[in-house]
Amino acid sequence: MLREITLGQYYPADSVLHSLDPRVKLFSTLVFIITLFAANNVVLFAIVLVTLFGIIRMSHVPFSFMVKGLKSIVMLLIIAGLFNLFLTPGRTLVSFWIFSISDVGLKNAVLMTSRMIILIIGTSILTLTTTPNQLTDGLEKSLGFLKKVGVPVHEISMMMSIALRFIPILIEETDKIMKAQMARGADFETGGLIKKAKNMVPLLVPLFVSAFRRANDLSYAMEARCYNGGEGRTKMKPLKYSSLDQRAYICIAAYTIGFFVVKGIL
Amino acid sequence: MSIIRAKELVHEYIRRDEEGNVEAIQVALDHVNLNVEPGQFISILGHNGSGKSTFAKHINALLTPSEGTLYVDGMNVSDDEYTFAVRQTAGMVFQNPDNQIIASVVDEDVAFGPENIGVPTEQIITRVEKALKMVGMYKYKSHSPNKLSGGQKQRVAIAGVMAMEPKCIILDEPTAMLDPDGRADVLQAVHTLNKEKGITVILITHYMEEVVDSDYVFVMEKGKVFMEGKPREIFKDVDLLKQHSLDVPQVTLLAHELRKAGVNLPECVLTRKELLEALKENYGHLIRTQLGGKLDFPESHKKQNNPADNVMILDHVSYKYSPGTSYEVTALDDVSLNIKEGEFIGIIGHTGSGKSTLVQHLNGLIKSTEGSIYYRGQDIYDKDYDIRDLRTQVGMVFQYPEHQLFETTVFKDVQFGPKNQGLDEKEQIKRAYEALGLVGLPEEFYLASPFELSGGQKRRAAIAGVIAMKPAVLILDEPTAGLDPKGRDDILGLISDMHEKRGDTVILVSHSMEDVANYVDRIIVMDGGKPVYDGTPKEVFAHYKELEKIGLAAPQVTYVMNDLKAAGFDVKTDATTVEEAKEEILCCVK
Repeated sequence: MLREITLGQYYPADSVLHSLDPRVKLFSTLVFIITLFAANNVVLFAIVLVTLFGIIRMSHVPFSFMVKGLKSIVMLLIIAGLFNLFLTPGRTLVSFWIFSISDVGLKNAVLMTSRMIILIIGTSILTLTTTPNQLTDGLEKSLGFLKKVGVPVHEISMMMSIALRFIPILIEETDKIMKAQMARGADFETGGLIKKAKNMVPLLVPLFVSAFRRANDLSYAMEARCYNGGEGRTKMKPLKYSSLDQRAYICIAAYTIGFFVVKGIL
Repeated sequence: MSIIRAKELVHEYIRRDEEGNVEAIQVALDHVNLNVEPGQFISILGHNGSGKSTFAKHINALLTPSEGTLYVDGMNVSDDEYTFAVRQTAGMVFQNPDNQIIASVVDEDVAFGPENIGVPTEQIITRVEKALKMVGMYKYKSHSPNKLSGGQKQRVAIAGVMAMEPKCIILDEPTAMLDPDGRADVLQAVHTLNKEKGITVILITHYMEEVVDSDYVFVMEKGKVFMEGKPREIFKDVDLLKQHSLDVPQVTLLAHELRKAGVNLPECVLTRKELLEALKENYGHLIRTQLGGKLDFPESHKKQNNPADNVMILDHVSYKYSPGTSYEVTALDDVSLNIKEGEFIGIIGHTGSGKSTLVQHLNGLIKSTEGSIYYRGQDIYDKDYDIRDLRTQVGMVFQYPEHQLFETTVFKDVQFGPKNQGLDEKEQIKRAYEALGLVGLPEEFYLASPFELSGGQKRRAAIAGVIAMKPAVLILDEPTAGLDPKGRDDILGLISDMHEKRGDTVILVSHSMEDVANYVDRIIVMDGGKPVYDGTPKEVFAHYKELEKIGLAAPQVTYVMNDLKAAGFDVKTDATTVEEAKEEILCCVK
């Protein structure tokens, strides 16, 4: 059951987006988020939406695959939507019992949930089209200036990419230990919150033990292959901007300028 | 000049208390002297805790000697100046395939080493390509390691070392966690490196079959090298190896037993071919040429099928992963089986044949997508059926069961199952005592933390945790995975003892034919989610040629008997254990 999480996974395909430099994709995601939250009327929203659909088409990732990623946060979306719907004051449209829906509430609820959905799909395109390693490389390069003020950028990005590598392994391991304890009569489903938390001990202790053992093994394996921090390291796939990336930057600039010009006019 | 030269090498693990005072000293290496010449294929044998892994870590400068010296290609490993040069010269591959792959894409992982030593970009690309091609993994270069099998991951790890262009490669039990297919692939890759690229190989293992082809063997025990020589010299002394809880290949053991019984054979036989040639030479007059092509398939002794004897019935059970999506995988395909009370069953099949999925159905951890399962006449998918009760009736010991230990003491951990059954404290304690007694764990460990035990002891404690629930059916999924020969024999002996004493129904999942043939009464062979053979070991192994096609093999002795038969000796071919083969050959030659 735990294996079906698709949020934040890489989807191998051959597309323009897959071959872009991760820095371009990081930057464009940032721009996309800014414009998404700056869009406060239908026209601007339409521009964001059309752009998103264009990008989805370009990514060659099946749309159904992206929607699957939303499954895990459906509850969150519904709760956020309901809160907005019922708890925003304004001109009352419908009311029953103690609930009332206002015009502002309805608008906010629709805007809020659609923003969330677009935000998640938009950012998931970044992770779907970029390998975890490229992503951390991109972050390491983009945030390289922080090294000057003593932030260990290389170490952090190394930790991130190792974490990403081990997430599926640990998920599988959780599944296995859970089954093994269930075979010994453990119960992970029933009972109150405290009882449930207590029942997690037989799952969490072995999981931590295993994580530490793996960390220990991995540190030996890394040392054995001459790992010695970021100093003097070279790269097999160094980040280099191509003409494709330049064109992408021009597109992003055009999109941003266009968006804010429209926003200024309206 | 020797590539590796150890002189009076000593390593001590020192345990200190909180104030930094020495609490205990454990001598892991005790004055080891050893030389390895460039281009050799060396094997180091020894059971768990013999110091072989500690020695391997020295060659890679991951550990430094407490006393004595170790030179790798003329560099002293104790000298910090050479640390990285040593690691480049002698690369290391570890046991667990998952815990040594750093990157999320195969080629990026292979590039990790060269990147660390600052190789220019263009050269890294050619090195990675070359290294992946050497181990036959080039076509997987942009795959995620999580999607690869264990054997493939190990070959990626070997490529990762080769990309650093070392002179020597050390493999620390690289096949311990793999299935037979994966083992064969990894070994073949290593032999190719040795023969074609002239790389010095140091293979640490406890699988004797892997050692036969090496140039020189060191056997370690208690931190000392206690035997060394060519494989033929080492395997000559079967009794001495047995005393030190080490194995010999089945053929060697058979030849040794025959020789002891007075058969005229050379002192050490390593392969099937050697045994056949020796018998032909000395006993050629017994060969009968007129023998027809009649194959003797053993007769099937199917007993009357009395439905009341069946403890479990599987009726047209199918299981699909993610049904209805493009990821749909059929793991079980219309399986119908009867399991009788008191049977000892072995289920064999290669990785992905559906054997683990099958056994997880038996205690309701997985619910079938189609078909029904009956336990003592009751449908376990019935709404009113208590599935948690079934789990205590059908006990399941998973692969690497020691990974589920969590309590502060061994005793409490074993109590966990009975506690969940809702038994009172007194009964819980009684059950735990009994179970720990049955698995033969010494009493001094009952109150120790489970994490302080050795590998074999941990496994016993974990098995006790399941037995304490007094299940009527006991399922064990690869109970011997990762253990050394002694640990393996102990655990299997224990299981078979329990079966005999308590009359439990036992189901043993395994991919080792030798293990299964020695103990079980019935074998079910799984392939593609279906049982393809079902019968006594003799019946099943008679199909040894078909078994090979699905990635399995009969025990070595079955091959020996078939070789003899094909050469014209008048023997029956249905022997599945060394003992049976010995009797059969003795009958023939005497």
